[in-house]
Amino acid sequence: METMIDSRMIMTDFLAALFDKLDVAAVAAMSKLPSGEKAAYTLFTDKSGLKECVPFFPAMPANAARAISKLTREEAPSKTVAVFLRPCELRALTELIKIKQASLDNLLIISYDCSGVFPFQKINLSDETKLNAYQDAVSTGKNSEGIRPVCAACTRFTPRGADIAISIVGRSADQPLVLSFPSEKGQTAAKQLGLDVSKTVEASPAVESLARERKTAEEALTEQVNESLSGAQGLVNIFDRCISCHACSYVCPICYCKNCYFDSQTFEYFPESYFTRMTAKGTLRMPVDRVLFHLGRLSHMGISCVACGMCEDVCPVNIPVSQIFKTAGSKAQAVFDYIPGENSDDPLPLLAYAENELEEFED
Amino acid sequence: MANNETDIKIVAFLCNWCTFTAADLAGTSRLKYAPNIRIVKVMCSSRIEPVFILKALLDGADGVLIGGCAPGDCHYSKGNFYARRKIALAKTLAESAGLDSDRIRLSWIPASEGPKFAHVVNEFTEHIKNLGYNPARREVYI
Amino acid sequence: MNKGLWIEGPIKKGILDFLNGLLADQKIKAVLMPAKNKGGDSYAWFLMEKNGMLDSADPAPPVMTTQGANVVSYLTKKGPVWEKTAVLLRPCEYRAVIELAKIKQVDLTNLVLISFDCPGAFPLEKYINGDPKKLDEIFDTCLEKQTELEGARNVCTICHRFSGTGADIEIGLIGGKGEGFWLVPGSRQGEELIEGVAGSKTDNLDVRENAISERTILQETKRNNMLDSFQETVMGPENLLNTLSSCINCHNCSRVCPICFCRECYFDSKALSSEADNILQRAQRKGGLRLPPDLLLFHLGRMTHMSLSCVSCGACEDACPADVPVSMLFALAGRNTQAVFEYEPGRSQDEAVPHTVFKFEELKDFETPYIKEYSKEQ
Ligand code: SF4
Ligand code: SF4
Ligand code: SF4
Ligand code: SF4
Ligand code: SF4
Repeated sequence: METMIDSRMIMTDFLAALFDKLDVAAVAAMSKLPSGEKAAYTLFTDKSGLKECVPFFPAMPANAARAISKLTREEAPSKTVAVFLRPCELRALTELIKIKQASLDNLLIISYDCSGVFPFQKINLSDETKLNAYQDAVSTGKNSEGIRPVCAACTRFTPRGADIAISIVGRSADQPLVLSFPSEKGQTAAKQLGLDVSKTVEASPAVESLARERKTAEEALTEQVNESLSGAQGLVNIFDRCISCHACSYVCPICYCKNCYFDSQTFEYFPESYFTRMTAKGTLRMPVDRVLFHLGRLSHMGISCVACGMCEDVCPVNIPVSQIFKTAGSKAQAVFDYIPGENSDDPLPLLAYAENELEEFED
Repeated sequence: MANNETDIKIVAFLCNWCTFTAADLAGTSRLKYAPNIRIVKVMCSSRIEPVFILKALLDGADGVLIGGCAPGDCHYSKGNFYARRKIALAKTLAESAGLDSDRIRLSWIPASEGPKFAHVVNEFTEHIKNLGYNPARREVYI
Repeated sequence: MNKGLWIEGPIKKGILDFLNGLLADQKIKAVLMPAKNKGGDSYAWFLMEKNGMLDSADPAPPVMTTQGANVVSYLTKKGPVWEKTAVLLRPCEYRAVIELAKIKQVDLTNLVLISFDCPGAFPLEKYINGDPKKLDEIFDTCLEKQTELEGARNVCTICHRFSGTGADIEIGLIGGKGEGFWLVPGSRQGEELIEGVAGSKTDNLDVRENAISERTILQETKRNNMLDSFQETVMGPENLLNTLSSCINCHNCSRVCPICFCRECYFDSKALSSEADNILQRAQRKGGLRLPPDLLLFHLGRMTHMSLSCVSCGACEDACPADVPVSMLFALAGRNTQAVFEYEPGRSQDEAVPHTVFKFEELKDFETPYIKEYSKEQ
């Protein structure tokens, strides 16, 4: 565990210091929209807009890894950009880097221990009661009421892989930021910020208790999802309302393909083929390949699913997509002993092999 | 229930260089094997995407057989190592979805082993017959 | 020629009997229409043959899940169906089918398009989260009595093309007396299919036609008023941005839109991606930039691409996860752009989409007569 220090800066000072002392070209963080109700991930190039910044606002209107991918995919920035990412967004970014959809060059990653987010439709900047209750939960290390089920069951909520980590669970909102600098980039930043590294701070026991609560919730979620995933019948029931809009894949940070396989010609058929398939059962449900899309998508990216919850947030018919992907994905991850986003040096399982392995799957 | 189901359908994805050749050999040697398989030839077992297997199962195939060169003997040197990972993934996902991963079988069958091919097909057909029809076959809401 | 055939009795059952009759007589091979999903809490589309007709098949469901024109496109995009297939569509779905036929995303060969006088539909979200049984009842009563559907989607409440004019067979409900419906042929094909069906023939449908005209005028006024006041609230980039402030740039509106047929949307293409330094410069110019960028461009750009053909079906808004009034925005844009070309999407297959044709002399209002102005100053 890296040493945590009292930075003696509150958020606004810290944001200003990023420009003043680290000379960053831009900061990307959640910020208030003019409407006053919603917040969106925003890129700031100077300090003037920073007062609108709400980096910890508990909503994820888009997985920020997608935004960072858009920003850096063609060419990385030539000057440092400091980006705030939730742990699952950071894990997604790490996965995207493995498939060359983003670049870490000149990014300074700031992350924090995450208490989860509400479904983005369900939280506004003016919802004071909700936000206060959420803050209470953060300070005491509990799951706040109303956060997304995958957030409540997220056990990887600490900022692994960040350059600068902010510790917020178990601390009050108005106290100066507690920072640690786990990477080399971070260490350099600490020096530039001119922080007094002797002012160390103890880890809060609230983190441990939140971890325990989350673990229990995760086990319950796994059990519940596994029960519903019971063969053809179970799959039909789960995805019965699905309108095949594929929004879940569009917003998924891992589903990076511009032309998704499941929207490709491969899954367009001649009318005769529809009729043949109809004749087999007398009835053919359309659009076809609905369940296949979900299982197929799982096979494409389940190994890298970071359980960020975006897919579920956008589903117009309330299918618990991310709960399913988190659960089924982690089973696939276990086969290859792989944790998505954990370590940028771990190769993607399907892009590697060992000569002697997986004997139980062959004969 | 399904012991006498004669229209059990098994989709077999066979690599061009080994298992498909073995199937050919079984044929020319007039070996008898169960007529339930429908063969799809692919150039290498690593061409088989998990989606192919899942699609076959969801559209009602009762079993899916994947055949390729033995590890170390791949025509493209390491394709089947990747294939094994993909099949492991497909089986795991099928299992997590409750889709009886036993309906998927990966067998390494070298080109010269016609009898092994016939044996595997017979054994797998028997196994699938014991499992019975794939429930997805009659599911109209899928 | 008989103008219509009145069939007495419960409406939905009557329609299904009619379809089953066509299947039994082998006048058609299959029917493509909505039916309840397995759990009964929503709807899906089904291609059904004689022995496969589901009991829950519903010619007029209370909610639009997948826009029917998309389903027709899936079925016929690669070529015509070989055997006669009846397709049950809401009027806006029917119009979208016609628009798609113009851009070759639908092949109408062998399709029998059937539509009905539509009372509207509930928002998908409301149906999913509500009590389907109760909502079904409310809807069916409105269908029969042709009263206003309370709680219908905004675009439905201002729909002015609520009957299936142009379809091969129209199921006429407006102006009907008591329980029952008319089968009104709209084409030679429709006429042939209706022939021999039991019912009372009528060669005078004035009641229905008058009732439709009356309601059309009412609805047109309502539509214009509502869109006018909506326009007030969204005019100008700032207001527009506020209206779109909850938009998360997920593009689901375009994915479900029947008119947005492109496999790879321009607004997802490489054309709009750029190097980080470029994006930073854009941010610098304004002091900040919302990510992912180009949210407003997406909506306005989509309007330029397809508002001429927008049939106001509301699918976009149903699928929007962020409650953006996106179908109202497009209804507004469509009203304004369609007026310029006196174009009405879905009205006739023979009308080309305006931006695919031109006249030598037209649209003078949109040109600046440079020479004239110049000479005035002299
Ligand atoms: S489902 Fe597969 S093809 Fe489609 S976007 Fe995701 S990874 Fe790409
Ligand atoms: S599948 Fe869903 S939960 Fe998993 S990474 Fe994608 S959006 Fe996030
Ligand atoms: S977002 Fe929901 S409705 Fe759309 S494809 Fe995904 S699961 Fe289906
Ligand atoms: S823009 Fe919306 S209302 Fe218009 S056709 Fe498309 S989905 Fe329908
Ligand atoms: S309007 Fe709605 S559906 Fe369209 S991009 Fe915005 S959030 Fe997505």
